[in-house]
Amino acid sequence: MPSNASNSNGLQRLIAQLAPLLIVCAVVLALPVLLNNDFLLNKVARYLVLGILTISLGLSWGFGGILNLGQAMSFGLGSYAMAMALKLKTVPVHTGVSGLPDFMVWNNVQHLPWFWEPFRSLGFAIAAGLLVPALVAAGLGWFMFRGRVTGVYVSIITLATMVVINLVIIDQQSYTGGFNGITDLAQLELFGVAFDAYGRATYYLVAGCVLLSLLVAFAFTKSRAGLIVQAIRDHESRVRYFGYDVALYQIFVFALSAAIAGLAGMLYTVVMEFASPTFLGVQLSLSVVVWCAVGGRQSLVGAFLGAVLVAGMQGALSESAAFLETWTLVMGALFVLVVLFLPKGLAGLAQATWRWVAQRRRAAGSAVARGVSQTEGST
Amino acid sequence: MSSHLDLRDVSVSFNGFKALNSLNMSVRKGELRCLIGPNGAGKTTALDIICGKVKPSAGTVSFDGTALQDLEEYEIARAGVGRKFQVPSVFRELSVSDNLEVARARRTSVLGNLRWNIGNSGREDIERLAELVGLTEQLDRPAAYLSHGQTQWLEIGMLVAQDAELILMDEPTAGMTAQETRKTAELFVRLKGKHTLIVVEHDMGFVKAIGDIISVMHMGQMLAEGTAAEVEAHPEVRRAYLGSGGISHA
Repeated sequence: MPSNASNSNGLQRLIAQLAPLLIVCAVVLALPVLLNNDFLLNKVARYLVLGILTISLGLSWGFGGILNLGQAMSFGLGSYAMAMALKLKTVPVHTGVSGLPDFMVWNNVQHLPWFWEPFRSLGFAIAAGLLVPALVAAGLGWFMFRGRVTGVYVSIITLATMVVINLVIIDQQSYTGGFNGITDLAQLELFGVAFDAYGRATYYLVAGCVLLSLLVAFAFTKSRAGLIVQAIRDHESRVRYFGYDVALYQIFVFALSAAIAGLAGMLYTVVMEFASPTFLGVQLSLSVVVWCAVGGRQSLVGAFLGAVLVAGMQGALSESAAFLETWTLVMGALFVLVVLFLPKGLAGLAQATWRWVAQRRRAAGSAVARGVSQTEGST
Repeated sequence: MSSHLDLRDVSVSFNGFKALNSLNMSVRKGELRCLIGPNGAGKTTALDIICGKVKPSAGTVSFDGTALQDLEEYEIARAGVGRKFQVPSVFRELSVSDNLEVARARRTSVLGNLRWNIGNSGREDIERLAELVGLTEQLDRPAAYLSHGQTQWLEIGMLVAQDAELILMDEPTAGMTAQETRKTAELFVRLKGKHTLIVVEHDMGFVKAIGDIISVMHMGQMLAEGTAAEVEAHPEVRRAYLGSGGISHA
């Protein structure tokens, strides 16, 4: 019987862990019913996309112990993949149907570069938006984790790699649009549905991807491989002496995280209607770390909510006259406070509160039981 | 008779300091071998060489005919070598049962492990292991909350879970109470025969309780081998321990 009991225990625990995830997704999906404002809905969709990006960082940082300061690199690569495909679908003013994109004309490019060619296919672009970030991460991970690079050095290498790619994109203006990015994009059309950035369809696409990313990440963390990744976070060499090839596990979680970030990047292009080098900029990349820490890096839902709440607050603050200049200070202070007092973020706070309430209830329950047995004894 | 584990002329130097100097050692299958010696004799380094943590600068290590010295640590582990470290090494943020689950390394590939764990086929195994090392009550608690002795037991339990043919134990009873040490000795005697064990220890009472053959190391070399009585009577061993009142008080 004991194993039966622990089985249902395990199942109960799984449901308890899945519950907050499903509640959050239900709220996200129900929001358009309450929010009858296309402009606001677009803004919320933007924050949801940043939430997906933060989930991806939570996966590699909170579970894998790999603090990737260049998480926005994967995000940017995904967003450019989508932008290239949508750019080729617009009809250029100068060159007509299936002519060269406008910025190439301005830069005296004669023919569409070879690496732009396959982006005429939307399917290819979507696959590239997931696979290019994953493969770049896997390649980078191969060098880092085979070489047993750990800790702060991983952060420095990932940050530096992102800056290099950012500079290359800015520098190669004739192929990438340079500093201006890729603008004036066609609408995304999938299976006959047009995704207008301010339409409900786009919101539901983003919301569906939130659900998908949360479930994929959750499924991974609950798998045996996910458990081993967490063990590597706690004690890397101990795992090695049990016969696991530690570098392969690190490469896997690093690449999975990059693919999810790539998905977020593609959605960002759809929601924002352009791609820009700032999408793989240092500021965004470090913001993601703050969101993740505030929400709780060891909780996927926490990381997601951290991004939505803090990015939402950032948006509100930077638009208000009072905080126009100082909102970055507010963000910095928030980060310091969370690191000092809430090392597990808001998710840790929620868990502690939940445990406290449960304990109180149990204590109250046993007090009632004692009271009952006393009255029974007296009668 | 060819031996199970064979170290031949193994040398290691750290910045010119010869931690091992042409060390030779062979261990038979199913044997429980104790490795003793004064501080700095190279006992831990000998275990590091076998499990691949340190690569020898000369010499060979063969295990069941496989040359271990050229393999990566995880390959050596897959070949059937398990290692317990002197500083107890467990996964502090994971629960005790998850610690044991990671150690049950039946499959090691990433893709092979992309499956869920709720069917719990191994749950009975884990409960049995927890009982063996007295951690049944702690199964669902994070390993960070265990006492020092319990952490030692957990790591020993993890090695039993790994089910390696050759188990290397570096000071497994450090920080244990006398009663815990006695329980550990009982466990090791039970493991003997099914597994081959090499145990580095300072506690001579413990060594006498578990060991058949004792190997004494000194200055990176093998000084003597034999039963407890033989080793204690050995003149060179007495000389190596001179000033510390004989090996019984080491």
